[in-house]
Amino acid sequence: MLIILAAPSDKSAAWLVERWQSHDAVLASAADLSTSGWSLYSASSESKACIGGRKVRNEEIKGVLTRISCVQSHDLSHIVPSDREYVASEMTAFLLAWLSNLTCPVLNRPVPGCLGGPALRPEGWTYLAARLGIPVTPVRRKTHDRPFVPDNLSTCELIVIGQACFGDASPKLIENARLLARAAGTNLLAVRFTGPDSDSTFANANPWPDLASSQLADAALNYMSVSAC
Amino acid sequence: MLVLLWGPAADLPLMEVRYQLEQLDVPTKLVDQRRVLETEVEIVVGETVGGHIRVGSESINLEEVSAVYVRPYESVNLPSIAAAGPDSVEWAHAMYVDDLLASWSELTSALVVNRFSASAANGSKPYQLEQIRAQGWKVPETLITNDADDVRYFWKQNGEVIYKSVSGTRSRVSRLRAEHTERLADLSSCPTQFQQYIPGVDHRVHVVDDKVFACAVQCGADDYRYSENDVPELRACSLSEEIEERCWALAVAMNLSLAGIDLRCTPQGEWYCFEVNPSPAFTYYQHATGQPISQAMALLLANAAPEQYTTISLPLEYNPTRD
Repeated sequence: MLIILAAPSDKSAAWLVERWQSHDAVLASAADLSTSGWSLYSASSESKACIGGRKVRNEEIKGVLTRISCVQSHDLSHIVPSDREYVASEMTAFLLAWLSNLTCPVLNRPVPGCLGGPALRPEGWTYLAARLGIPVTPVRRKTHDRPFVPDNLSTCELIVIGQACFGDASPKLIENARLLARAAGTNLLAVRFTGPDSDSTFANANPWPDLASSQLADAALNYMSVSAC
Repeated sequence: MLVLLWGPAADLPLMEVRYQLEQLDVPTKLVDQRRVLETEVEIVVGETVGGHIRVGSESINLEEVSAVYVRPYESVNLPSIAAAGPDSVEWAHAMYVDDLLASWSELTSALVVNRFSASAANGSKPYQLEQIRAQGWKVPETLITNDADDVRYFWKQNGEVIYKSVSGTRSRVSRLRAEHTERLADLSSCPTQFQQYIPGVDHRVHVVDDKVFACAVQCGADDYRYSENDVPELRACSLSEEIEERCWALAVAMNLSLAGIDLRCTPQGEWYCFEVNPSPAFTYYQHATGQPISQAMALLLANAAPEQYTTISLPLEYNPTRD
């Protein structure tokens, strides 16, 4: 089974489930966590899940693609309104532990504070890039100048999936995108630059790129298949 | 040298650290959350991290800050912000101030006690428990589930079991009892955490940099923090050198300069670790025991040399993933 952890309204997730149907892809959402059958044992691989009414042991899961940062209270219409915020917080905490316990490939592995991988702010990505020697455009944010548009200069986006990198840009930028993903500890990352040429500067990054294209979907599937071996 | 304190001015740990810093004549600025609507923040990040905070007529150059003690609550919970509501200008401003200061505190080369990224593991107790186990501590057998049959089996296997929240949301630790059996049917709506009950004496250990303050808590209740009939008795105590060393090592491994570690010593002398609080309200223990925790905090902040902390200023450690 391949699990795509996403909001029910996520059209890209639905597209990926369809495309990966022959690999037993299923959509898991917050509502599934309200179906009996989830158990996580400490220091044990005996844990299990229940997705779309199907009970599955953790070792039967071949890969996970996470497209949410946390469980939102508005995803919990089946829970009484007064409990939704608490339940969202509990489900998020559970998922962090559950995803971290999986031994199969997970795009992206969760970090405390975000289920979908490193959720750095624009200045966090910029500082990380600068520390790696990647030319950056400084980020300036201030309270009296909202809203902030973080990447209005970017014209070139590269998508890193494992060792592969997609997008048209100079080899130097491709190398820098890979370097940034590796430093952030992520195997799925969109990296934006101010242009495709080698003298372009870093603009922003995002660990939840849209994979709803044949090329990217196949690369993500390949990553999960190869890494699982 | 400048020490920055961020949080509500009336917060007890913040107040006591501030007092100790004043005793040491250390230049200190408080960013009082109660004045969030008067607060303006600007941060600039490229190869360096800088910016300013302005509260009323006072300005703080963030590049001069050598150490920060962060004790913020969510500003949107302040009465004036909550009353204005989520669609108000006040709400948006308060959220943005919190966000900018949190972002700066992640990246600055100043000593930050503690960075949010280091504290975040406490938001998932089972996740943090695995970090604790990885440092060699005994931890209780734990099951997080929404399956009543699995709870019954776990209960049978472990004899006595407690339940508590999975997230960082504060909850009362309670023993699972026969009268709860009917309520197990309600479990399916959300996974709940169950743990093997460990008998013994609770200990709260505060680690402040290289100093360790241990406190034993005598109380018969399942959760001494909520005990009404059996008033907890707190007393300062000494730990063996080995346990002290392991507490210190645990805080270091979690990148926490200040940590409140919850231990229990069984009648057989085995030490279990339950949780590490990255923002402990240490004044409760300090007042009961007389341990100079706020003084140790002030010394830590006063002696911070920013260049020491550049190595942890990356938002994430440079580790290849397991995949």
